[in-house]
Amino acid sequence: MTTTPALRESALPLPLLRRGKVREVYELGASELLLVASDRVSAFDIVMREAVPLKGAVLTQVSSFWFRKLANVAPSHFITADAGEIVTRHRQLAPHSDVLRGRAMLVRRTTPVAFECVVRGYLSGSAWQEYTRSGTLAGEALPAGLLESDRLDPPLFSPATKAESGHDVNVTFEAMAQALGRSLAEELRRLSFAIYTAGREHAAGQGIIIADTKFEFGYAQDGTLLLIDEVMTPDSSRFWPADRYAPGHGQPSFDKQPLRDYLAELRRAGGWNGEAPPPPLPADVVQATSARYLEAYRRLTGAALEVAP
Amino acid sequence: MTDDRYRSPLGTRYSSPAMQTLWGEKHRVVLWRRLWLALAEGERELGLDIPEAALVAMRAHLDDADLEVAAKYERRFRHDVMAHVHAFGDQAEAARKVIHLGATSAFVTDNADLLVMRDGLRLVLGRLVALLGALETFATRYAAVPCLAYTHFQPAQLTTVGKRATLWMQDFALDVEGLCHVLESLRFHGCKGTTGTQASFLELFNGDHEKVRELDRRVARKLGFECTYAVSGQTYPRKVDAFVVDALSGIAQSAGKMGNDLRLLQHEGELLEPFESEQIGSSAMAYKRNPMRAERICSLARFVISLQSSPAHTAATQWLERTLDDSANRRLALPEAFLAVDAILILATNVAAGLEVREAVVRRHVDEQMPFMATERWLMLAVAAGGDRQELHEVIRRHSMTVAEAVSTGAPNDLLDRLGGDAAFGQVPSEALRAELEPTLYTGRSSAQVREFVSEYLHPLLRRARPLAAEASSAEVRV
Repeated sequence: MTTTPALRESALPLPLLRRGKVREVYELGASELLLVASDRVSAFDIVMREAVPLKGAVLTQVSSFWFRKLANVAPSHFITADAGEIVTRHRQLAPHSDVLRGRAMLVRRTTPVAFECVVRGYLSGSAWQEYTRSGTLAGEALPAGLLESDRLDPPLFSPATKAESGHDVNVTFEAMAQALGRSLAEELRRLSFAIYTAGREHAAGQGIIIADTKFEFGYAQDGTLLLIDEVMTPDSSRFWPADRYAPGHGQPSFDKQPLRDYLAELRRAGGWNGEAPPPPLPADVVQATSARYLEAYRRLTGAALEVAP
Repeated sequence: MTDDRYRSPLGTRYSSPAMQTLWGEKHRVVLWRRLWLALAEGERELGLDIPEAALVAMRAHLDDADLEVAAKYERRFRHDVMAHVHAFGDQAEAARKVIHLGATSAFVTDNADLLVMRDGLRLVLGRLVALLGALETFATRYAAVPCLAYTHFQPAQLTTVGKRATLWMQDFALDVEGLCHVLESLRFHGCKGTTGTQASFLELFNGDHEKVRELDRRVARKLGFECTYAVSGQTYPRKVDAFVVDALSGIAQSAGKMGNDLRLLQHEGELLEPFESEQIGSSAMAYKRNPMRAERICSLARFVISLQSSPAHTAATQWLERTLDDSANRRLALPEAFLAVDAILILATNVAAGLEVREAVVRRHVDEQMPFMATERWLMLAVAAGGDRQELHEVIRRHSMTVAEAVSTGAPNDLLDRLGGDAAFGQVPSEALRAELEPTLYTGRSSAQVREFVSEYLHPLLRRARPLAAEASSAEVRV
């Protein structure tokens, strides 16, 4: 197993625009951003104290893989995830190239569209909850008798207002069309289906089910619509191991299952109330989770992960 | 200096090393020496008998002033500027006889203050631009997330989380406009002499007015200013200090408003400032998560606003060509205003970049009020289905009063079910009523306003501001 130290939080000498649950976003002049994925991990909506080695590199390089692979499907904000090239373009980052390596991505700055574009290829999570409550998804009727985790053909588009994680507030396509204008809403739906369909097919061939995922889009300064943020990563999607797929109940997570199992057991045993502060994680749980993320990367891309020396 | 003496918490706790260095004694002396060099260079260029060796000697000792030596001179002379003239002369022996030629103390003190304020304003502007970047990121991200708006701090119609943040952004953007104006109109004091008549320089140049004017211009340009104030007494107009601190106070006002809003929203559980995983909220109540950064922003903002009166009074009470009663007050009010605003902006950026939206809570608060908001649309649906507007209004009023009473005792809001079951609404399918409960229908132009604000106003403003601003890197907040 690797000995690369985990990074809990980056602190680059650049204006900080956003510190999310997992990533830092820095400003690089008026037209570029630097996205740095830390190794922070959250479960049950709580950010853990321990960082998971390699997780940040996996997130960045999975996105980088999709941005390049799907460039002909959707133009994106991606410029480069190569630390050497980032430093060549921005010399002031030269002393920090170790922090950047593998986990940083240079992108064009955009004005984000205010809705997340969620595509659901399987009935799970909040969509499953809505279905059991009202037989609908995002306000639209679904066939009766579907099981939890059933595959949806064709996939469904269910936009949501922005959420950090887990609390997607689903809105109807009509509501999104009213806020954004119909032609933009339809373009977002078309692009989302195209990206997801291509991604789902590729992943299925590698033994990973991408059950659902969320995309974000933004306007470049010249007005073009770009795919932004992260793309079909374990954090923005549900990854399920294909060989264990069985509808009728919730599916194990490809990446976070060791962590979720540990925390669920701890809660059952009364060792944690599910709220902050999080419990300390044993080293073997952290390592097992790290190994799952790395495995997801290897399967999806068929390549070796680039990590800091 | 020993540790048992008072030290300002602005230095020990709150402001950045960059801003403290700018206002430090060492930097002031570095600027004085550059001013003395620029004066001697200008005088030589315009024909006065100043040897090149004097300039060479001065250039060799611009940055290595010995503050201890200067302090010894000051104890002897009781005059800080003359102490530094002598200390400089000790190091730059070849220049000893010509340092400060034709000048009065205000030549170095006032010009250096203007330089420090200019660079301080640039740093503040850089921090404002950084804060606006973080707020823009937040506001565009949450532009469409519906939340309750409040008037009188009572639930009113809906807005969005991002639209509200855009109100904060606009306040700070207006401060950027003010700061750009102050920076663009800031001029140099130049070479004016003891009462501002330039008599000593006119004498040095044997009555050549044009050379005196040219010296004034050259020294200003050497220090990076395009022009000087047209006339002066001994000092630059003290109104300038008031303009500068007014601009800083404006930033404090914006930050105070944002800080207060954040405290109210954290009380509602909707919006939380960032909290480190090891941070302790309360020494006694371990479960507490207090909005301590927003509280500190408000605390410092009040202090800066209170400082606004000092330069205003100083400007108003200067006698004739100058009085020294400005001095001690300026030594306190100017740096403290800059250091405190620096601290406010670092905190505000840290908070804005890490704001946590509790979307489930935001949504719950919206849902509690939603049926009341929908009554107007329900009324119109029922009228369209053939109902009598006046009768329907009375039906809604009656049910609403009952529901409001029930909700106040903890019952859920079941107004929809009550109206759906009322014969007056019999012609309207209940799904049609339910469809009107979508909050996004009630946020008006919020998300479009955010987008328009950013692209049509903020971005053009930032294009004007960026060239004037010093790059502000992320500074560690000491919590």
